[in-house]
Amino acid sequence: MELKYYIIRRLLVLIPTLLGLLLLTFILLDALPKSFLIEQFVNHKLPIPAQNLEKQQAITTLGLNLSPPEQFLIYVNNLIHGNWGFMYPNSEGYGSYYSGPVLAGIMEYFPVTLEIAIFAVIFSIVIAIPLGTYIGSKPNSVSDQVGRVFSLSGYAMPTFFLALVLQIAINPYFPSFISGQGYPSYTHLSWIKSISGTEVSTPTHMLVFDSLLHGDFSLAAVAFGHLVLPVLALSYGFLAGLLRFIRAGMVDASNQEYVKTARAKGVPEKQVLRKHVRKNALLPSITVFGLVFSGLLGGAVVIEEVYDLNGLGRFGLSTVSGGYIQFFGILGTTLFFGIVLVMANLIVDVLYALMDPRIRY
Amino acid sequence: MIPGANKEEKKRNPRLEDIKDTAKLLVKNKLALTGLIISSFYIFFAILDVIYPQYLGVGPGVVTTLTRFTGPNIVLAPPTDPTFSKGWYYFLGTTYANIPLLPAMLAALYNDIWDSAIVVGSGAVIGILVGTFSGYFGKIVDELVMRITDIFFSIPYLIFAIIMVTVLARVFAADNITIPPLTIISVSLIVIWWPTYARLTRSITLSVKSQKFIEASTASGSSRVRNVVVHVIPNVLSPVFVQISLDIGNVILLFATLAFLPLTFLNLNEFTPELGSMISSSETYMLGPGWFSAVIPAVFLLIFTISINLFGDGLRDVLDPKLRR
Repeated sequence: MELKYYIIRRLLVLIPTLLGLLLLTFILLDALPKSFLIEQFVNHKLPIPAQNLEKQQAITTLGLNLSPPEQFLIYVNNLIHGNWGFMYPNSEGYGSYYSGPVLAGIMEYFPVTLEIAIFAVIFSIVIAIPLGTYIGSKPNSVSDQVGRVFSLSGYAMPTFFLALVLQIAINPYFPSFISGQGYPSYTHLSWIKSISGTEVSTPTHMLVFDSLLHGDFSLAAVAFGHLVLPVLALSYGFLAGLLRFIRAGMVDASNQEYVKTARAKGVPEKQVLRKHVRKNALLPSITVFGLVFSGLLGGAVVIEEVYDLNGLGRFGLSTVSGGYIQFFGILGTTLFFGIVLVMANLIVDVLYALMDPRIRY
Repeated sequence: MIPGANKEEKKRNPRLEDIKDTAKLLVKNKLALTGLIISSFYIFFAILDVIYPQYLGVGPGVVTTLTRFTGPNIVLAPPTDPTFSKGWYYFLGTTYANIPLLPAMLAALYNDIWDSAIVVGSGAVIGILVGTFSGYFGKIVDELVMRITDIFFSIPYLIFAIIMVTVLARVFAADNITIPPLTIISVSLIVIWWPTYARLTRSITLSVKSQKFIEASTASGSSRVRNVVVHVIPNVLSPVFVQISLDIGNVILLFATLAFLPLTFLNLNEFTPELGSMISSSETYMLGPGWFSAVIPAVFLLIFTISINLFGDGLRDVLDPKLRR
């Protein structure tokens, strides 16, 4: 009952933060020269009167005839009504970039990011818990030092370099992982049709899960194969953060009185570690999720660029690359990344409250 | 005044003793010491190159473009293997456009280290000032500052850096101001980086604020500003140093990542002396025989970031009494 009010309160606090984020981005974008913003919609091959017409249209669609506060309020009003603005096709022709409504674009690109994030989180947890327990139970031993170097290299590793190196390392053995690079997105439905032979419904918009739901295991295997390298590259930083935290928690918990008591009364060492130390060490590690998740989302931008995945990071990058600046695209991406991150933090806090009976809100 | 008293006090300077203790503990920590030695080597070579160009011959001065190494005619050519017969320039072979890899890497290293030091340094100064004053003065200022830092923490900083860099580059281009792309990255990273320090210093300020010596200082007539400057800021410094040592590596990585990504408005090209852009330019040779031209700069960068992280981690262990072994 109390938790419900806590969640509602937290959600209410999120609104000003997200509005502030939008305002900050808006102020930043407002510094852009107006003529430049208009100019990018104009097709210079057209005759002059037609160009002037296009300029007029650009001014009205961007709302440049209004004052900045009015623009912002109208934009926020549109946001609430589900109109996140448009990504415009460049008149000079950059066919490879997304154009259309921003919200639809985000919904199309986000599942890929979510999918690799899910697998990266699962993979990291599966590795980090046993490894962290092991090195945390022997502080300052050789294995602890090795673990320290391993996890600090995770912090220090440039994500793009890890991604590139994995390509080199895997190329001789599994060339299909790389030559078939470019994870099939739902814009290329024909690819799915050609394998499964039928029209596919896409409840989760994540290829691995969708094909599993359809019982098509070969497609799921192909889709998963394409995810192996991105997930490995993405999870190193996350894994490193988690490992450090679990290790610190283990060391911290093993100095507690109840652990000494357990040892003194003759509980077997294995059971002490598993029941008394690890259980208490893992609990605070939940909080680190919120911290490292930000890095995970940032890493997704790089990973998607290297592995040609059409995910949200790619979407965000396409709003600023490709020759011109997508005004609404930038605002929408910022807001969506903000929402994902703050919601992840909220979920982490709620989980922590549910699992730790000492915490009351 | 007793003449001897002052001298006695100088002998037992508590801050100096503290630094000595820290240094002793740091030397005992083998990994941190290794990190310190390796990163000092990097910094030494990066600085040596600029101050005494006659020894290495990469300079003179700061290398602003790698075309210095290509000669007048720029020919895009695949990387060539390392040779030991043509002098130390070619010890690691050449990368794209016949640029000798080793001196180019040293030039890039100087830019990377210097720029990230500027980013972290100015971020720390702004963060300390904002954090301590808002923490000490409290009330509406504090609330406002914390909400602003909340905004910065509610988005992955890489995304924000990408947007900021693009917008700044475009704005400067429109005003016909030519600013090197690395400076644009530095400016936007400073804007993104100060909230970390503001948060950190504010939380320490809150715990310091309620202590007796602050009360004593207020009772003896110190103003609030004096309290912050004289009593709060010195107490904040050691965690900030730890954070700085951990952040330098992060910022270098961020520089490299931003240079790696295809940001068309930022006029980074393959001749910008920056490790990330060097790696990204030789990415095309990655799956062929010229793979080393991308891997060597990356490993070079990796060793530096790992060692500075090891040092920062050791420093944190030593300075944080809770973790002190």
